[in-house]
Amino acid sequence: MKKVRILSLLSVTALVTTVLVSVPVAANAAPACDGKSPIQSCVGVTSDGAPYAMQVPANFNGTVALYSHGYRYNVDIPAGIPLIGGYKITNTPEPVPGGNADVAKYFFSQGIAILGSGFARQGWNPDSAIKTNVELIDTFKKQFPKTTKVIAWGSSLGGVITQGLAEKYPNLVSAVAPMCMADNVEPQLTGAGDFLWGIKVLFDPTIKAGNYSAGAAGVAESYADLVKVFTVMGKLQGGISTGAWPDTASATGKALAAAGIPVRSALLLLGLMAGIPTQSAHFDSISGPEGALKLSFPLAVSPALAILENGTNAAALAILATQDVEMQAGGAIFDNTKTDYAARVDVERVIFNAALSGNTVIDAMLGALSAANPGAPRAVANSAAVAKMRALHINTGKINVPTVLMVGVADPITPAGASQRLVDLYAEQYAAEKAAAFKAYQTTRDYKTPTNKLLMLWNTTPSSYTKFAATGAPITSIPAAQGTNHCNFTSAQLVLVAKSLVQASSTGKLPSGGALYTAVRKAGNLSIDKGISVPLLKYYGDN
Amino acid sequence: MKAMNRRKLIKVSAVLAAVSLAVTAVPAQAAVGVSSREIKLGMTLPMTGTASLGYNKIPGAAKAYFDYLNKNGGINGRKVKLIVKDDRYVPTEAVAKTNELILKDKVMALLAPLGTANVKAVAASVNPARRGVPVLFINTGFSGFAEKKKYPTTYTVLPSYVMEAKIMGEYIKDNFAGKKIGLLYQDDDFGTDALAGFKTAGVNFAVKVAYASGSQGAAAAAGWITKFKAAEADVVILFGVSSATSAMLGVAAQLKYAPQWMLGSVGGDATTIKLTGVPAGVLYNAIGFSPVPATTDMKDEYVKFFSDIYAKAVPGSTFDLNVLLGMNTAFMTAQALQAAGRNPTRKSLMAAIDSKGASFANSALVPAGYSKTSHVGLTGYWVGKYSPTGDLSPIGGTYVTYTTDSGSGAVVKSTYVRPAMPAKGLPN
Repeated sequence: MKKVRILSLLSVTALVTTVLVSVPVAANAAPACDGKSPIQSCVGVTSDGAPYAMQVPANFNGTVALYSHGYRYNVDIPAGIPLIGGYKITNTPEPVPGGNADVAKYFFSQGIAILGSGFARQGWNPDSAIKTNVELIDTFKKQFPKTTKVIAWGSSLGGVITQGLAEKYPNLVSAVAPMCMADNVEPQLTGAGDFLWGIKVLFDPTIKAGNYSAGAAGVAESYADLVKVFTVMGKLQGGISTGAWPDTASATGKALAAAGIPVRSALLLLGLMAGIPTQSAHFDSISGPEGALKLSFPLAVSPALAILENGTNAAALAILATQDVEMQAGGAIFDNTKTDYAARVDVERVIFNAALSGNTVIDAMLGALSAANPGAPRAVANSAAVAKMRALHINTGKINVPTVLMVGVADPITPAGASQRLVDLYAEQYAAEKAAAFKAYQTTRDYKTPTNKLLMLWNTTPSSYTKFAATGAPITSIPAAQGTNHCNFTSAQLVLVAKSLVQASSTGKLPSGGALYTAVRKAGNLSIDKGISVPLLKYYGDN
Repeated sequence: MKAMNRRKLIKVSAVLAAVSLAVTAVPAQAAVGVSSREIKLGMTLPMTGTASLGYNKIPGAAKAYFDYLNKNGGINGRKVKLIVKDDRYVPTEAVAKTNELILKDKVMALLAPLGTANVKAVAASVNPARRGVPVLFINTGFSGFAEKKKYPTTYTVLPSYVMEAKIMGEYIKDNFAGKKIGLLYQDDDFGTDALAGFKTAGVNFAVKVAYASGSQGAAAAAGWITKFKAAEADVVILFGVSSATSAMLGVAAQLKYAPQWMLGSVGGDATTIKLTGVPAGVLYNAIGFSPVPATTDMKDEYVKFFSDIYAKAVPGSTFDLNVLLGMNTAFMTAQALQAAGRNPTRKSLMAAIDSKGASFANSALVPAGYSKTSHVGLTGYWVGKYSPTGDLSPIGGTYVTYTTDSGSGAVVKSTYVRPAMPAKGLPN
């Protein structure tokens, strides 16, 4: 590489960092650009008040990559709340994932500009965010008339926004990549609601777990829930090894405890009911420490620890997103009055039978959680609020433009099943396109094979990864394993997505064949195996 | 496309003819896991850990037969290679290891995976059906796996636990009428199947004791015995895995608790039980069930053939039920591969079992139920008693076999005539 190029890339890194803390100009004005070279930076604010940032290389080739960030809490979190306290609402623009310098470098090296806003409204926001993105594309094109193509990508809720943009405005984008994509609002919050409801009815009945009051009072209730849920999780952590139930357990929970049911089995059952992955950042449900626990740890303990780790990770978002969407919808949105939790775990109860302590215990727990038990009252939604929630933006799953999906198979917050749903829907769509092509052939005698428009990149977990100290205690201070945690991607994996988008945008075709295999192998920990099939969110089994 | 001129066409035809000749002379690359030289199969089961006892002899037994087969020409010139991975009887580990077999080792088929929970975990998470990967002759008798619609690429081989319980029930009605019956069972699908079979057979239990998988051990066994004693059980059925049977019999020997024992086939291998330190005498007169001949029956041509091969392949290792079943599975697999055509594929392999599996030669004394609509394997048992040295032999010295289904069908004496051993024990 030439010396000049290295310097240019170094400056790019600095600019990306700068962009993330830039102060925007007045709303709906033309962007303010610094006119610098080799990278020109522009900032501005959309008509709805979303601050945005653009970075355009001197060798701009007409393609811009629009990034949509994921869910950001739409309330400040008081400092006293464990794990997440001290958070302040932010709408800092994010033109590449997390300000990733490698990704920006790659785009600039190709003459591609980057673009992204911090959105005007945080929380669950696809309706407003899609509009913001449409305006942003228009603003960029006006500022840089050379623009010919727009690549759109996003993470988590940004994946929903990206997919929504491609569904509603396919002519605006040439290729898209929803990464670690959330599912639509109802399936997503049903999973969250199931877990919170279970934690409430077994471990602490004072948790509200939804149906929050309007306004500031509801926000305060959600804060109280955060504290209670994190406190219960802490107690469960101790209880997994001792068997003890939290002292805050409900009468139903205490009855199960009195029957000798280990609390780890109850926690695992709740996780399985909600569809939480049984592999987490540090617990693979496979490994055991040397010695007496070599077999019993993965068989009986590790799955519950994985649920604990994943559940704790997801709890804050579950509570705050529920409160947020309830505010938007005007009432309680989670309803499990008709949910058959026994049917939900029909397969899992066999696979995790030992960890769940056998059929007799499983049946006792499911009986305690059944709708017939008044000691485990079901949550009842406000039908008007549910209708309003369902009127929020919903993705249909239609694939209009070349699309790259990437997700960790054990993502605890946006389950891989959300991406699987698109894969399944696209299989149907492609089959229909083939049928239509064949029908057309019968008239024209010219068969045109439909172009594949979907590339699925599975971020897989290693075959085993839990590490143990010499004492036999699991180590949780090491980085999360690949395929686990939320949107836990390496720079190499993100760059692979970026490269795939660039190619698809340029040629209309996604990478394939040997070149794709090589690229995937080099990126590491990814699989494009079409045989991979992960469970859909539990919501889809009920509906 | 330009029209091909006549001279070119002749040339191409000649080349194609040559290729065709070459194909018949030398096996060609045909499918995943099949090269010109070998066919790769993959197996996951517990090779280490407490659940491995006895079952960890299955791969060695299967390999012993495949080695014999390979030395005698293999399958149309291809050697059969068996790749074995240890899952320690942990379902999540079975998923990881099976993924390795399919994605990294690229096996043609999965062979004889062991354990109901493991096979179910693999079906749900690895999804061999979606991938079109055959799962041959699974080492679990859970009746649900024979549901072809739900598990379209899975083939059972062991008689189902429902069948076994039904046949046990018939034996109880005929021989222990009026006696108090106790049941120890595993508290999962394994046990659920057994309970369904006993219910169909109309067995009323004085006491039923369930244990959660993984909880079996000496301490638990003492508790079980307390319950059976309290119920004054005359006959105690041990319908669990080997480690549960061993724990129970070991503690019973110490406590001098000696009801009439009846052992299910899964946990009834005497060699495995004795390896845990249980005195052989404890087994004396216990009733047992098996679909294949007694492993000591050297008059049986299959037993003799397999035991001779095994003795040479694994000198010093006892020829027991797990070994016989492992070799029998390998033998059936060889016939399936042979019947799958010169260049077998996953599809042709499954088609071969569907069309010819019921007539595959094998040591079992009961019929197999394979057909285009059924993936049911063996369908019955003979009843025997354990000798003072712990060997299971047919009651009265003659094999009387019973056959039934996993539904409400009656238990009947089987008229099945077993196919003779093919020449040299090789697939035709």
